Amino acid sequence: MAGLISLVGVAVLAGTVLVVTFVISAWFGRPIVFGYDDGPAQPIAFPHTVHAGVGPLLNADGSPRLDEEGQPQRVNVMSGLGLDCTFCHRMAATEAAATIPSVGLCMSCHVTVGDGNDEIEKLRQAADTGTPIDWTRVHRVPDHVHFVHEAHIRFFTERDGVPASQVCSTCHGEVAAMTTVRQDRSLKMSDCVDCHRDNGAPTDCTTCHY
Amino acid sequence: MGEKSWGMVIDVDKCTGCQACVVACQSENNIPINEEEHFNQRRAIEWIRVERYWEGEFPDVKARFIPILCQHCGEAPCEPVCPVFATYHNDQGLNVQVYNRCVGTRFCANNCPYHVRFFNFWEPEWPETLTNQLNPDVTVRSRGIMEKCTFCVQRIRRTERESERDGVDLDDGDRALSPACVNACPTSALVFGDFADPESKVSRLKEQEEKEDGRAYRLLENYGTEPSVVYLKKVEEGAKSASHG
Amino acid sequence: MPLTRRQFLTLTGGSAAAAVIFQACGVPEDELKVQAPIGMPEDIVTGLQNWYATTCRWCPTGEGIVVKVMEGRAKKVEGNVDHPINRGTHSARCEAGLQALYHPDRIRGPLVRSGERGSGRFEEISWTDAIGRLTLQLRRLSDSGDQSALAMVTEPLAGHTGMVAERFLARYGGRRVSYEPLERTVLRSVVKRVFDQDVMPDLDVERAAYVLSFGADWLNTWISPVRYSRGYGEFRQGDRKRGTFVHADSRFSMTAANADRWLHVEPGSEGVLALSIAQVIVSEGLGNSAAADELTDGGYIDLDAFAPERVASKISTAVPSDRMADDIRQVARGFAEHRPSLAFGGGSAAAHTNGLFNMAAIYSLNYLVDSVDRPGGIVFNPRPPLQDVPASQTTTPFSTWQSLISEMNRERVKVMMVRGADPFYGLPDSAGFRAASFKVPYIFSFSGTMDDTTAMSDLVLPELDPLETWDTDIPDPGPGYQMVSFQQPVVRPFFEERGRHLGARGFGDVLMTIAQDLNVDLGLPGETFREVLQDGARRLFNLRRGSVSAPDFRSFWNGVLQRGGWWDVGAVSTDSVPSRAPSLPTPTDPVFDGDPDSHPMHLIPFASASLTDGRGAALPWLQATPDPTSTATWRTWVEINASVADDMGIREGDVVRITSAHGSMEALAFPNPATPFKVVAVPVGQGHRAGGRYARNRGSNVLSILGPGSDSETGALAWAATRVKIEKTGDWMRLPKFENAVSEEPRDEHHEIIKITPVDSGGVH
Repeated sequence: MAGLISLVGVAVLAGTVLVVTFVISAWFGRPIVFGYDDGPAQPIAFPHTVHAGVGPLLNADGSPRLDEEGQPQRVNVMSGLGLDCTFCHRMAATEAAATIPSVGLCMSCHVTVGDGNDEIEKLRQAADTGTPIDWTRVHRVPDHVHFVHEAHIRFFTERDGVPASQVCSTCHGEVAAMTTVRQDRSLKMSDCVDCHRDNGAPTDCTTCHY
Repeated sequence: MGEKSWGMVIDVDKCTGCQACVVACQSENNIPINEEEHFNQRRAIEWIRVERYWEGEFPDVKARFIPILCQHCGEAPCEPVCPVFATYHNDQGLNVQVYNRCVGTRFCANNCPYHVRFFNFWEPEWPETLTNQLNPDVTVRSRGIMEKCTFCVQRIRRTERESERDGVDLDDGDRALSPACVNACPTSALVFGDFADPESKVSRLKEQEEKEDGRAYRLLENYGTEPSVVYLKKVEEGAKSASHG
Repeated sequence: MPLTRRQFLTLTGGSAAAAVIFQACGVPEDELKVQAPIGMPEDIVTGLQNWYATTCRWCPTGEGIVVKVMEGRAKKVEGNVDHPINRGTHSARCEAGLQALYHPDRIRGPLVRSGERGSGRFEEISWTDAIGRLTLQLRRLSDSGDQSALAMVTEPLAGHTGMVAERFLARYGGRRVSYEPLERTVLRSVVKRVFDQDVMPDLDVERAAYVLSFGADWLNTWISPVRYSRGYGEFRQGDRKRGTFVHADSRFSMTAANADRWLHVEPGSEGVLALSIAQVIVSEGLGNSAAADELTDGGYIDLDAFAPERVASKISTAVPSDRMADDIRQVARGFAEHRPSLAFGGGSAAAHTNGLFNMAAIYSLNYLVDSVDRPGGIVFNPRPPLQDVPASQTTTPFSTWQSLISEMNRERVKVMMVRGADPFYGLPDSAGFRAASFKVPYIFSFSGTMDDTTAMSDLVLPELDPLETWDTDIPDPGPGYQMVSFQQPVVRPFFEERGRHLGARGFGDVLMTIAQDLNVDLGLPGETFREVLQDGARRLFNLRRGSVSAPDFRSFWNGVLQRGGWWDVGAVSTDSVPSRAPSLPTPTDPVFDGDPDSHPMHLIPFASASLTDGRGAALPWLQATPDPTSTATWRTWVEINASVADDMGIREGDVVRITSAHGSMEALAFPNPATPFKVVAVPVGQGHRAGGRYARNRGSNVLSILGPGSDSETGALAWAATRVKIEKTGDWMRLPKFENAVSEEPRDEHHEIIKITPVDSGGVH
C-alpha cells in the first residue's frame, strides 16, 4: 500500500515538474503564448515578399521615393511590388483594427495577374463562389486587451516624420521579407509596457484594459 | 489623456424608476443574462440599479426611486483592500477594475458601502445566436473576477482617440462619450461630464445646487468616500426647501 | 539557441501527455481565424462602428432609434436625437429589440404543422410551398365568392404595412380585426366625443404647470411613455418652475409613485372624482365660466350632487371622507390656479363598464382651465401627411371580437391570417376563442417567434425582425405636427445565408406576392414593399417642406433615412377648438363581474413595465428587468396590501390562488404597503404556453381569468372590472426580485451617528 502511495507521489511529482518546466520555458523562452512561433500555414500561400517587398514607392508627401542612386524606386516583379502596407490593411492608420483585405480587393489585380498559379486559382475560386477566406491569425492579443493600430501609427509617424507603412515593422518585424508571416515580438504585456514607458505613452491600466 | 475628473450628476427629482438605464447598461457592457436563480441567490449583476424605498402606508404611502451605480469614490474603500492592485484610482477620476489582475478575493465588494461591485460566480453564458449582440469593445468577464460600473470607459477611450485623430476638442456633452445609462434616461435625470472643467454641465449643476438651499448631496458622504456622483434631492411638494443629505 | 514551444514538445518525447497540456493551454482554434469577406462594405470592417436610424417597434408608439452596427451585427440601440417623439432617449424595451433579432428561438423558415393543432410539431417547408398553400386556401374562398370568410388579425397597424394590409383586404375581400390586449378603444371614442378629433392629441406634459392624471401608467407603459417621460423631466426640473403632479388611481403604480400626491379612488369611480373636481372649480368660480356653462348645459346638469363632501365616501372607502373631500378641494384649486394645467386618463380608468363616462368626465376638465389645443394642455394633432398611409388604426373592440368568435363557432370563418397579434394569449378564456379556433380550418401566422397564436397555427410564414426590414410608422399620437417615422433594415437578415427558400420575409412583401399569385391588383405604386415605401417618400419630397430639404429625390431619400424620418414642425393641426364644449356625461355606476360576497377583491391587471402586454416575455433582458415598484422579475406576482396579507397569513412568495367567476390562476404574493385594501394587482405579460425558452410556462396569465364585461357604449373590454377571491395554496416559492430581503437594523434614534469627513480625519485614510 505504502509502495503504491509513494509510486503515485513520484508520478505526481514528475508530472508537476513537467508542467512547471513547460510553463517556465514557455514564459522566458521565445515561444509565444498567444500566437505562433513559426509562421502558421495559411489557406492560400500569400507571399508578403512579392507584394510588399522593396518598400514604398512614394514618400509621405506623395513625391517619388528615390533609391540609392537617386532614381525613383521602380517596381520589380522579381524582388517585390513594394505595395504600401495600408493599400491592403486599409484601416491601420485610421482605426483600431488594421483589417484583412477583402477578396474583392485581391481580385482587383488578380482578375488578370497570375494565370496558372495554383494559389491564385484558389483565390479566384473563392471569389467566384463567394466563399470568404479563413486566414489564420498570426498576431493576437487576448480579449481583455484593446489594441489600437491608429494611435500607435500616429505616434510613430509623427515622431519620425515617415509614412505609415514605415512604422509597421516596429511591432511586426520586416513582414515584407517574410514569405510566411510569423510573429516577431512577444507582444506580451511587458513588451507593451516597456515600449510605452520608453516613449512616454500612458501606462494607466485602462489605456488597454476595459 | 488630459486632466479629467469624470463624474455624474443624478437628479432624483427627475428619476421615474423606469429601468431604461439598467437595460442600456447590460446591453453596452456584456453583462451576463440575469437568470431567475441569480436573483434568488442575490447574485444578479446590475452595474446600475434603481432602488425603491417605501415611505408610509396606504393611503399615505410614497415610493422613492434612486439609481445607484459605482460612485467612483475619490477615497474608495474598495481600493486599499485589494491584495493585487486590481482596483485603483486613475488620473481621470475613474475607479478602475482591472479584470486581468483580479484574483477574486471579493474583499473590495465587502468593503464597498454602496454594494455596486459584483462577482462572477459563473462563467457567463449566452445562447450562441445572442453572442452576436456582444459589444466587441468590452471584455467579457470570466468566472471568478469582480466587475462593476466603468463609466463606460470604452466610450471615453474611443471618443478621446477619435477626437485626437481628427484634431477636435473633446466635448463632454458628446453622446458618444456619455455612458449608456445617461443616453438612455428618458427624463435626462443622469448627466455625465468632467468635474475638472468648471464650464462643463456637471460642474455648473454641482455649483448651482451646492449653494445654501441647493439640492446636492452625495451618498453616505459621512464615510468620507468622496464620491464622484452628485445626487440632487427629490423635491417634496409643500416641504421647505431641502436640507442637505 | 532559444527553445521554441514545438521543439520543447518534441524534446519531451512528443509525448501525448504534453500534447494534451499544450492543447489545454492553447487558444481555441476559432479565435485564431480571421476572415476575409468577398466585398468590404464599411459596416463589416472590423472595429468600425456605424449608427443607422430606424424606428423601434417595441413600444406602443414608434420611437426613433439609432442602432450601432459593428461587423455586420447590431450591437446597441440608442435614441435618435433628431426624432420628435423621443429626442434621443429610449426605453428598456427598445434596447431589448436586439435580443429579438438574435433570439435563439426565432423561426428560421416557413413551417407547416405536422401534428395535431397545438401539438407544437412543425416541419420546415420552402417559401414557394408555403405561399402556395396559403394562396390555395384564399383562391378556394374567392372561387366560391366567400372572401368574407377571411379574417386578418393584426396588431393596430400604422404606416405602409397598414396601407398594404388595408389595400389587400379592400381588393381581395375579407375583414380586418385588430387586437390589442389593453385596448385603446375608449380613449379614441372619448377624443372624438370630447374634442371632436379623429387623431389622438398630444399631451403636453413638458409645458404644463399642473398635471392631473387618472389611471394611466403614463410614465411606464401607457401610449407613449418615453415621450411623456421626456416631458416629465422638463416638467420637474426644467427652465420653468417645478410642476405639480397629482395622480388618481385605484392601484399604486410606478406613475403614482412619482406623483406629488396619489389620490386613491375605488375602481370605476374616476369619473365621479373628475366631476367632483369640476364641481369645485365651477362652484368656486375658478375656471372658464363660459366653458362651465356649456359643460353643464347652462346649469341643467346639477353638479352640486358631486360636491366633494357628498361623493368622497363613494370615491374612496379607505380614506376618511372629510379628508378625501379636503384633498379633492385642494387638488381642484391647484388644478384651476396653476395653469397651464392638463387632465387626462386611461388605463384602468377606461377599463370599466362605465369607462367612457370616466374618460369623458376626465377629459372635459381641460375645458374648464382653457387647456384644449393649448401649449401645456391637450395639443391637437394634424392628419397624417400621406392620405392613404394610416396612423394606427382603431382597435377592434371586444364586443366585435365576441361576434367574431360566435361566427367562428358557426364555421363562418374559414381562413385566419394573424400578424403581430397574439389573441390566443390575450383574450380572456371566458370569451371562448380557443375553443372556437378549432372550427377555423386554416390559421396562418406571420410571426417570427413561436408565440401562443403561432403555436396554434397551421402554417407559419415568419416575418423579418423590425431591424431587418422596411416600414414606416406614423406615431399615434404624434408630437403635435405631421411626421412619418421611417424604419430601414440596419443589418442583413440573420437567416439570409439559409437561402431564398428558407429564412424570414417581410410581411408587406409576402402580402404583395400573395396578391400577385391570386391575380388581385393591389394598385400599389411599386413591385416590392420597398418601392411602395419609396413612393411614399417621393410624395413627401413633392410636398417641398419639412425636416429634409434636398435638390433631388435621391438625396431626399438618403436624408430621410439618415434622420430616421420626415417631419414638419410647421404642419400643425388646423382644427379649431370645438366652439362648444360638449356637455358632461351622465354618470353611470361601474358593474363588476363576480359576486361581491364570494369574490370580495377587485382584480386590477396592469401592463408589466418591461413585458408590456406580453410581447416582451421572450426576451431575457426584459424578463430580468425589475419591476419599478416591486423589483420583481421573471415571475407573476400579485400585489396585496401588507396589512391585509398579514391578516390572511400571507407572506411574500406564498403561492396565492386568485379565482374569478371564470377561472383561476396562481401567483406569488408580494405584500406591500401601497396596495389599497380591497385590491389585488397582477402584472400582465407572463403565462405563455409557447414563446420560446424564456417565456414558455413561466408565471401565469392574468388576462385568462377576466370576465367578459365590456364598456356599455364602446364595447371595449372592461379588463379592470373583475372581482376575485384569493386564498393561500400552501406552497411557497422565492419571488425573484432585485430588492434585498435583509431588513434594516433597528437603530436607537438618540444614538448619534459618527460623522467622518476628510478634514476631521486628517491623515487617517
